[in-house]
Amino acid sequence: MIPVHATLAEPQYFSVLEKLLFLILVVASGALFWRRFGPILHRILASRKDPDFHLDHLGRRLWDFFAEVICQAKVIRQRPLPGLAHACVFWGFCAFALVTLNHAAVGFGVGFLDPAGFFGRFYFYLAAAFAIACAAGIFGLFARRFFVRPRWLGAKVSYESGIIAGLIFLLMITYLAAFFTTDGTTAARVLWWVHTLALLVFVPIIPHTKHLHLVLSPATVFLSRGEFSKIPPLVGDEDFGLVTGKDLTQLVSLQAYSCVECGRCSEHCPATNTGKELNPREIVLGVRAYLNGPGPASEEPLLGKYNSQTAVFQCTTCGACEFQCPVGIEHLPIMVGLRRGAVNTGTWEDDYGAKLFNQLERGSNALGISALERDKFIQKQGLPVFDGTQEYCLWLGCMGAYDPKGREIVTAFARVMDYLGTSYGVLKKEKCTGDPVRRLGNDLVFQTLAEENLKNLAQNKVKKIVSICPHCVRTIQEDWKAYGTPPEIEHHTEFMARHADRLPKQASNEKVAYHDPCYLGRYRDVYDEPRALVQISGRLVEAPRHKERSFCCGAGGGLAFLGEETGERVSHMRAAELVATGAQTVGTACPFCNSMFRDALGEMNGTAPQLLDVAQLIARGLPEPIAAVATTAPGGSTRE
Amino acid sequence: MRIVVAIKQVPERDAQVRIDASAKWIEESDMQYAMNESDAYALEEALQLKEKNGGEVIVLSVGPERVGTTIREALAKGADRAIHVDCNDLANRDALAVARLLADAIKAENADLVLTGLQSDDLGYGQTGVILAELLGVPHASLILTVEKTDGGLKVKRELEAGWFQEIELPMPAVLAIQSGGNKLRYATLMGIKKAKTKEMRVAAASDLGAAPAPLAVLEGIALPQKQRTTQILPGDAKQAAAALVEKLKFEARVL
Repeated sequence: MIPVHATLAEPQYFSVLEKLLFLILVVASGALFWRRFGPILHRILASRKDPDFHLDHLGRRLWDFFAEVICQAKVIRQRPLPGLAHACVFWGFCAFALVTLNHAAVGFGVGFLDPAGFFGRFYFYLAAAFAIACAAGIFGLFARRFFVRPRWLGAKVSYESGIIAGLIFLLMITYLAAFFTTDGTTAARVLWWVHTLALLVFVPIIPHTKHLHLVLSPATVFLSRGEFSKIPPLVGDEDFGLVTGKDLTQLVSLQAYSCVECGRCSEHCPATNTGKELNPREIVLGVRAYLNGPGPASEEPLLGKYNSQTAVFQCTTCGACEFQCPVGIEHLPIMVGLRRGAVNTGTWEDDYGAKLFNQLERGSNALGISALERDKFIQKQGLPVFDGTQEYCLWLGCMGAYDPKGREIVTAFARVMDYLGTSYGVLKKEKCTGDPVRRLGNDLVFQTLAEENLKNLAQNKVKKIVSICPHCVRTIQEDWKAYGTPPEIEHHTEFMARHADRLPKQASNEKVAYHDPCYLGRYRDVYDEPRALVQISGRLVEAPRHKERSFCCGAGGGLAFLGEETGERVSHMRAAELVATGAQTVGTACPFCNSMFRDALGEMNGTAPQLLDVAQLIARGLPEPIAAVATTAPGGSTRE
Repeated sequence: MRIVVAIKQVPERDAQVRIDASAKWIEESDMQYAMNESDAYALEEALQLKEKNGGEVIVLSVGPERVGTTIREALAKGADRAIHVDCNDLANRDALAVARLLADAIKAENADLVLTGLQSDDLGYGQTGVILAELLGVPHASLILTVEKTDGGLKVKRELEAGWFQEIELPMPAVLAIQSGGNKLRYATLMGIKKAKTKEMRVAAASDLGAAPAPLAVLEGIALPQKQRTTQILPGDAKQAAAALVEKLKFEARVL
């Protein structure tokens, strides 16, 4: 029979012996915790200081802390059901703060919350509600891990997770059961001790498992680098990136120890999804294992026993991992850092890579094509040359200048700009922005390219740039900052969207599946502008993985230049997803995505949808230009 | 093995070349320079030989101050030290004069092997390496793709035409003119460039090595090739068209 106004039962009296035993157990539990956590903390603090980390933008950090940690926003949003279950467990823990404090106080005879008093009853009932939610949550998570077995949690079942789940469940049950006993009874005493032991066993387990995130992740989220894919500068003559343990920084170490092994990063990784060796979670755990093994002062290479060089060079730098991580791990600086360590010291031996580096050392573009071809293209299309008087410099980039599809995109966009009456010009000379070598970690070639380009832009008095390639936009705006002050730059979809009201609306019901490029979406937060433009030209349909969850085309990270892929092709996987939407057209906003899908769609059986850049979608709705240039001279002969 | 690699700094592959006012050379004021392509392969071969057999690779270049960048690139890729023969009047020196400068600089080094590129990307004479061998009084072989050290000296693979190759054995010391494409080129690394700062680069003035003799071959002038394509459709039936064609080939194209 449940008493009508049940209150939390507490043991009324503890003998001196019991109090002593409790004290000894608390101290032992704390000592065991520190025995493991102390060295971890030491390893984090003993790591090199991050050269570009400043504890600034406190407002934003506090907001991120509030949203991500307290409200569990990303945890829930990106994996709703398990996320909610986890949130219940976390909120339960938070709500239990006073409960636990009081529980311990009771053990020493100084309990301060009267279960029969007004506040006591209110609080304990509130905590009970949280306890129910927490127990349900932890049970759900346990069932998911042990019975449902989603593959992103790994093939091996984690018994330590089972133990932790059991302990949490026990804590909740012993708390709730105390409402059904009476003060001072043996039952209440037993419940108190079971709850206490569960707690005191739980605490030292924390630093031995991924549950260390309980302690570290609030700090990790708060201490983020501050920007997406923030690649740190190299400092001094001895810094080549992440070569050995000595190069690991405090943020990297903190993040490595915060990993909860949830597998959200791996779940969205294009390499992991296509059977490659690369698994972002394993990279982070490899760093953690290195820290636990050789440690932050070691000269053993980071790529070797603990992480594979092959895996690291399969990364497209798409950023899905960094975006997904609920505890604030920033994978991209780690990946690029490891690559730098291999490339800047010459330990990366790859024929395609060496060819790319040599091409960019002696030539102007990543494709190894003569610059004369770019001149010919400009002449043939009649593109105006930038002379300092125009408002915009149209940056062609390697794809826009040399790739056939890239050129089509440039031509289409030039048509749009002509229609809008924009004053623009293209530079006489361009060198590759260095994006592929930047992502591959070759700082020597990247620095040369950045400096030469900045000099060229300054000499030509370029103030504003518009580009068709998100990689160029990102590299010019962010990565060149290390070597000078780049001019303003925007992507052509941002430009066109600003003038959307002047672009003719097309009466078309054609379904267009828009693919968010990684370097425009996750890197730049540009999602709505291209969609507004797509809506002008047809009917927008979304792929299952879209916006921040967009699945990479496979070209990034310099991979487009590295030869054949192993396993299933990333571009084919994504193309299949886009085609499955039933769209008649695939819309892209990046010449690399365009190139990858051109190949993938070309290999599909049956009629593949057409592939068009957003500029081409807009341009097809423009009226034809007024004057057509005569190409045949009188006399029946043609001259070239 | 002590290997000397002679490299030349030439205008960049992709450069937009303009003839200068004198019409005897190209406009150099805004030119970008890079290492001569076959010289890069010579350097790669030298570095691989050093990795296999031990020893030292010395890089040598004749030219004005700007060749320092290319020399440092060679040091960054793994050469041990460098000699820069500072010379501002390369335009007045023919292949023989340049080979003399190289020979003077090399003589003091007691090299086992001298590697040069097959020909330069700008002048393309293909002579300097061969003349150098003669001046040094050592055997040479040219169009070499790969080099192997043997007990007796060297075994080299030489490129002929139509996919044929030739293997030659020769003693050291020797001069080899290396053809492009025999190896995959390594890339210059940041670590290499930093290390290169500490490597020795000895500068010798060309004038110290003797005055330039009057060139035996003089570059009279250079011009850009005129590209012209005209298509003429010859009217009439086959017989008439053939007659018209023969006339054009005889008197216009002058190939018959």
